[in-house]
Amino acid sequence: MDFDFSDDQEMLRDSVRKWVAKGYDAERRRRIVQAGGFSREAWGEIAGLGLAGLQVPEAHGGMGFGPVDAMVVMEELGRGLVLEPYVQGALIAPGVLAAAPEAVAAPWLQKIAGGTALVVLAHQERRARYRLDQVETRARANGTGWTLDGAKSLVPAGDRADAFIVPARVSGNADDPAGIALFLVERGANGVTTRGYGTADGARAAELALADAPATLLLPPGEGLAALERAVDTGIAALCAEAVGAMDQLVAVTVEYMNTRKQFGVAIASFQALRHRIADVKMQLELARSMSYFASLKMGEPAEARRRALAQAKYQLGVSMRFVGQQCIQLHGGIGVTDEYIAGHYFKRLTVMELSFGDTLHQLGEVSARMQDTAGVFS
Amino acid sequence: MDLNFTPEEQAFRQQIRSWVAGHLPKDISHKVHNALRLSKDDLQRWARILGRQGWHGWAWPKQFGGPGWNAVQRHLFEEECALAGAPRVVPFGPVMVAPVIMAFGTPEQQKRHLPGIMSGDVWWSQGYSEPGAGSDLASLKCRAERRGDYYLVNGQKTWTTLGQHGDWIFCLVRTSSDGKPQTGISFLLIDMKSPGITVRPIITMDGEHEVNEVWFDNVEVPADNLVGEENKGWTYAKYLLAHERTNIADVNRSKRELERLKRIAKAEKVWDDTRFRDEIAKLEVDIVALEMMVLRVLSGETSGKQSLDVAGLLKIRGSEIQQRLTELLMLAAGPYSVPFIHDAMEAGWQGDHVGAAYCAPLAATYFNVRKTTIYGGSNEVQRNIVAQTVLGS
Repeated sequence: MDFDFSDDQEMLRDSVRKWVAKGYDAERRRRIVQAGGFSREAWGEIAGLGLAGLQVPEAHGGMGFGPVDAMVVMEELGRGLVLEPYVQGALIAPGVLAAAPEAVAAPWLQKIAGGTALVVLAHQERRARYRLDQVETRARANGTGWTLDGAKSLVPAGDRADAFIVPARVSGNADDPAGIALFLVERGANGVTTRGYGTADGARAAELALADAPATLLLPPGEGLAALERAVDTGIAALCAEAVGAMDQLVAVTVEYMNTRKQFGVAIASFQALRHRIADVKMQLELARSMSYFASLKMGEPAEARRRALAQAKYQLGVSMRFVGQQCIQLHGGIGVTDEYIAGHYFKRLTVMELSFGDTLHQLGEVSARMQDTAGVFS
Repeated sequence: MDLNFTPEEQAFRQQIRSWVAGHLPKDISHKVHNALRLSKDDLQRWARILGRQGWHGWAWPKQFGGPGWNAVQRHLFEEECALAGAPRVVPFGPVMVAPVIMAFGTPEQQKRHLPGIMSGDVWWSQGYSEPGAGSDLASLKCRAERRGDYYLVNGQKTWTTLGQHGDWIFCLVRTSSDGKPQTGISFLLIDMKSPGITVRPIITMDGEHEVNEVWFDNVEVPADNLVGEENKGWTYAKYLLAHERTNIADVNRSKRELERLKRIAKAEKVWDDTRFRDEIAKLEVDIVALEMMVLRVLSGETSGKQSLDVAGLLKIRGSEIQQRLTELLMLAAGPYSVPFIHDAMEAGWQGDHVGAAYCAPLAATYFNVRKTTIYGGSNEVQRNIVAQTVLGS
């Protein structure tokens, strides 16, 4: 048992932190938000650091790193409120593709590692909420390949991405856990249309319509749903780490404010009501950090144990994100609710993260349904 | 970063597990698993069993007769004991006063007191709180005046847990009124059989006699019983607090109690009520998160790389969880938590239970555990400490 980061991981953290501090300051971020919430140029810089290929196997031009390395990167991207969909493009997509047949996956993995392709997961459907087995999009074999019909929602940077990983149904009813396969669809293909929009945290998403769109089979029914669950768990672990980075920075900003802002002739940090509040915030931050470690360290477990652990982690993070976000705004007073000040941007990002990959109530249901007789980190 | 214990640590755990399985008396673990009343004899029997193995002072270094385990091994030992249903070791001797005697006591004091603590033969109590000194402990007034080769002690201590069984008591006493309150305090070891000591029970709202008042009326204490230097007692008391880090979270016992909660919730059929079960699920996540926090501290202590100053957080969270557990246990039994039959909390009672037998102690335990957010530095004082660390002032 060891919770120290290796020297390599500390170096990785430093390099991401430096890029965020120099290359992604609040002004640039604001410009990116105004320009639609995604910058291909910034994505290129992330790839330039080698980060796009962080989890791409070495044989395909990446670094082949694991979940803890991803956690380190995500904490720093969270600290800097980076808008580009790193979770989707650099963690989820390579994970799914690495499990797909070599001939299909290899060229895409190369392009992802090189930063020339942004591939994102397009799994959300209008009627599914957070259920992964609820899939209405249909896949049809057409002799030589496949075509898809349906609609996907809330696809990160969906109108800027190059390709999508799409769960679609080969057989069964809309809520049948069997019959779900994963496909790759290129944005430029016939029958693919996207409608982009900004999201509440200043980032970008799109609605994706598929009308007889040509698709490449990545994982067949029987493997599709398990792979999708694993992809979402990858996303949860990454969001947990991103949230820890974001909360860490928001708390630091709030502490600085409390020590400098004066009312009644003294720093507001001297008031016990506020001191106890920041202690409660620190509690939620450390519980969140603990469960973020837990999430990443449980990614290698068998599916059932992994699912249970990731639901537990996302539940804790959801509780923590909402509390830390709300209280840090409150501790700032009026300045906290302005668009100009940074705290509100952290608040909005934390809010969106709570709503992503299963919100807190959803995760509570997952934990509740999966409880065993024993409990604890090792059960 | 690695979540798993090493093969050596896992082997150590197995070794502890089989030893505990072979040595923990079944009648005692039955009481612990069912929250039934533990007698002095139960507690001392277990202390002596541990003592014979050299484990009553399981956190002691080898030079003082302890096993010399590291932080992870200590944690594994505590966890195995807790999960098996061992009673909580009464901490005042082996966990609290012993490290102070080791660090600041004379060789004579070490020779005189440590063996009796390790063996479990000598029962120690703690004399810290006073009626006027709770959270503001440094304002304590119990006086010790130097009279040649002895101290004359006058005053009162309170909330002395299990002091009715105490052979010895370690006390913070006032030896000077000069300067700041903290600077005039000394650390004194007092034989509770000394003339002038009176122990009076305080009955708590669960109807139990767990805590006491201890009165000192012209008690003569040999000057040799002063630990360290006169007026430095506050420093030693703080050392003692720093010694109790992950322990204070009591997460191992909470894991055991969560299992009991699930058993009772199933038996009472509230397990099938999602509204109730979700409350258990929340608590399960709370416990996993607390355990992760404890493991982070252990890892930091073992590697020395990260120091994690979260003792206050562990105390706050651990105590809140203990309270919530007893709350949900009581709610699981619902109306059958209401009958309050003193004898039904005794193992082997043959009378008629009103509800199921496991319902009998649930309200009493809920009442009793209100103490956890108050003792050891109230949770509000802990928040002050956490805030100071976070805010830097």
